[in-house]
Amino acid sequence: MSNVASKAYGLTILSPIREKIAQGVSGSVLTRSVIEDLKLHQHSPFAKVANTYLARLYVLNDVMFQGYPEQEDHLKSKYLVFASNFYGDLDEYLTGLWHGAQADVKQIWAHCYDFESVTDEASFLIYMKKCQLETTFFFNGSVGLGEDDISLNEQLKALYLKQEFAKFVWNNQSLSPNELKAAFIEFSHITQPNQPEPSWAPGHSDIAQG
Amino acid sequence: MTLDINDIQGNIIKAYGHFNLPKVRYVFLKVANPDVGRAFIQALLDQDFITRAGSWSSKNPAAITTNIAFTYNGLKILGVPSASLSTFPSEFSEGMKTRRSILGDDGISSPEHWDPIWQNDENIHIWMSFNGRTTEDVINRYNDVKELIDSLDEFNGEAGVELLSGHRAANGKLQDYQEGAALEINGLPTRKEHFGFDDGISDPFFKGCGQPAAYVVGGGKPKASASDSGVDLTSPNSWAPLETGEFILGHHDEASEIPLAPIPHDLSKNGSFMVYRKLHENVKAFNDYLDNLSEDYAEGREALAAKMVGRWKNGAPLASFPTEAEATIFGDKYAAAVANLGKGANAQENIANLKVFQDLDIQLRGFNYNADIEGSSCPMGAHIRRTNPRGALEFGVEDAYQTPGALIDRRRILRRGLPYGKFERGATNDNGDHGIIFMAINASIKRQFEFVQQQWVNYGNDFKLANDRDPILGNHPTDEHTGCPMGRMIIEGSKEEKKAPFFCGNIPRFVETRGGDYFFIPSMTAVQLIANGIVDPT
Repeated sequence: MSNVASKAYGLTILSPIREKIAQGVSGSVLTRSVIEDLKLHQHSPFAKVANTYLARLYVLNDVMFQGYPEQEDHLKSKYLVFASNFYGDLDEYLTGLWHGAQADVKQIWAHCYDFESVTDEASFLIYMKKCQLETTFFFNGSVGLGEDDISLNEQLKALYLKQEFAKFVWNNQSLSPNELKAAFIEFSHITQPNQPEPSWAPGHSDIAQG
Repeated sequence: MTLDINDIQGNIIKAYGHFNLPKVRYVFLKVANPDVGRAFIQALLDQDFITRAGSWSSKNPAAITTNIAFTYNGLKILGVPSASLSTFPSEFSEGMKTRRSILGDDGISSPEHWDPIWQNDENIHIWMSFNGRTTEDVINRYNDVKELIDSLDEFNGEAGVELLSGHRAANGKLQDYQEGAALEINGLPTRKEHFGFDDGISDPFFKGCGQPAAYVVGGGKPKASASDSGVDLTSPNSWAPLETGEFILGHHDEASEIPLAPIPHDLSKNGSFMVYRKLHENVKAFNDYLDNLSEDYAEGREALAAKMVGRWKNGAPLASFPTEAEATIFGDKYAAAVANLGKGANAQENIANLKVFQDLDIQLRGFNYNADIEGSSCPMGAHIRRTNPRGALEFGVEDAYQTPGALIDRRRILRRGLPYGKFERGATNDNGDHGIIFMAINASIKRQFEFVQQQWVNYGNDFKLANDRDPILGNHPTDEHTGCPMGRMIIEGSKEEKKAPFFCGNIPRFVETRGGDYFFIPSMTAVQLIANGIVDPT
């Protein structure tokens, strides 16, 4: 089925960009500068949106000419492409995006056709769904493509545990069985495998940040 | 297939160290004036100094060899036209220093720490090597060439060709040449490097290389049958020679193409590219690391060292000799066979003795990792498994590859060079004159040497080892806050034997780069073209 694989959702949004804005600066140039200035990793606006596995923004200028004798095609406008892989339901996710990163969303989509019609949660959902393209685009590695997809928080906890366990192994390999058992109990106590915390925060991209 | 061995320089075909030429001096020259430079090369040709692959045979071995190669700047100053220069590969024209991030030459290995001679590397135009049977042979040839240089015309008060100084030697002394020699133990030359391992055992076997046919074992590429279980990997039937074009320009390569090469064809055919690297070995750091970690490693110090390298110190590969006891038995047999060579009472006995030796020698190379996909005998991250995976990347992957060597046949390099400095068993510091002059010869420095260095030595993804590096050669990082070494290696356990894996952490850099560059080794035809100044790409 398109868009959905198990509990993972592959969202693709193409929003047409207004070409001429003012003083000869085009909407695509302005949009590009907004998305290039967005903060990364844990400071990214999408780190504030629950269950985002991965998100990406780019400006699609046109389609490539494939060469003679193919027909030369062009897009009617430039598009802002928003691709996001997340866990769960679309409406819930878009609602989270609107409330979690509203200021960023308004800036990012500011130069897109008809975005002025977006004034609240409901109109945002209508707008985004109007721009949605049905795809089966998933980031390799972000989904299990099975029944075992888990929420972002569970994934982050698992990554945290994996990293901490690796450290545990490196640091304790030469202990006697009794010492090892004691160290492992201590490890479980610190890492709390069955509790949500401690864990990584969304957007952390490497061990040093975690 | 027959190569024109009188057109190919001898160092491409032969690892001189293995041909009773255990002493060497390497020199680097600056050409200040193109006319004088070309006159110098012509004089080398006139005096028949340059050693061709056909200059000698096992019946008529040379006592001294001389070879020559050029940097991009060298070719340029000698008058090779820009229309030809622009057809050389970009990694060659950029040179080793510019490629340092690809090679991982950072931290203590970064160029500012290299020997003084490399601090003005734009002056390095010509590389020459003098490999000899004795130090005296080497010095005589060195003096002959030096005399020749001194006799050349001056140019605006500067020597037309200058022998460059600045090779760091023992006690920090700077020399006009880089000395090298097979390490001697108890007065006898060995194959060992400073960490105590036999080195340079497996070298690629290619069509026309002139080696005895049996050396295709382990040196050639694995045939499809090499991945069948129970196949005899010490049999030449399991291996096939690599295509010549992987190592010598102007011949078919493993892609059934003539490799991309500079024009004109006469300039590149029968030539090759060479990487020269001076690699310092931190002998104390290596021994200390083994001493410390082996306290926790049940199988002991020698086994730990062997797991890092993939061979025991006597050369026995872990893939065939997983335990120290097996390796020791093999080593004793091998040493006895070497001692018996030529000592038979008659010709018949000598032939028999030679056969015994050859059968053992083949076992040093006739193996792969097909029966050890999990790395229980030889760890996935061991030095020799990384740098020559022998099909280990393909095993266990059904129907994905046409041959078991699909991922390695285009990443092979001819290893040349010798150690420098004196062997010191209990080195008390890391500042000794200990290291290897490593030279790699290949048709494409980028595809072969640089790939192995970047992806297999300084990264681990192809072996599913994340960013672990080669334990021996890797440019292991240090913690930026504590300065603590951060290298890692996993010694895989064994499911069958219920043996837990062992984790080597905090590995420091055992090997540091101290200099080097990329060189073009022209054919004899091309050396003459360069000397005449008539390289014509039109």
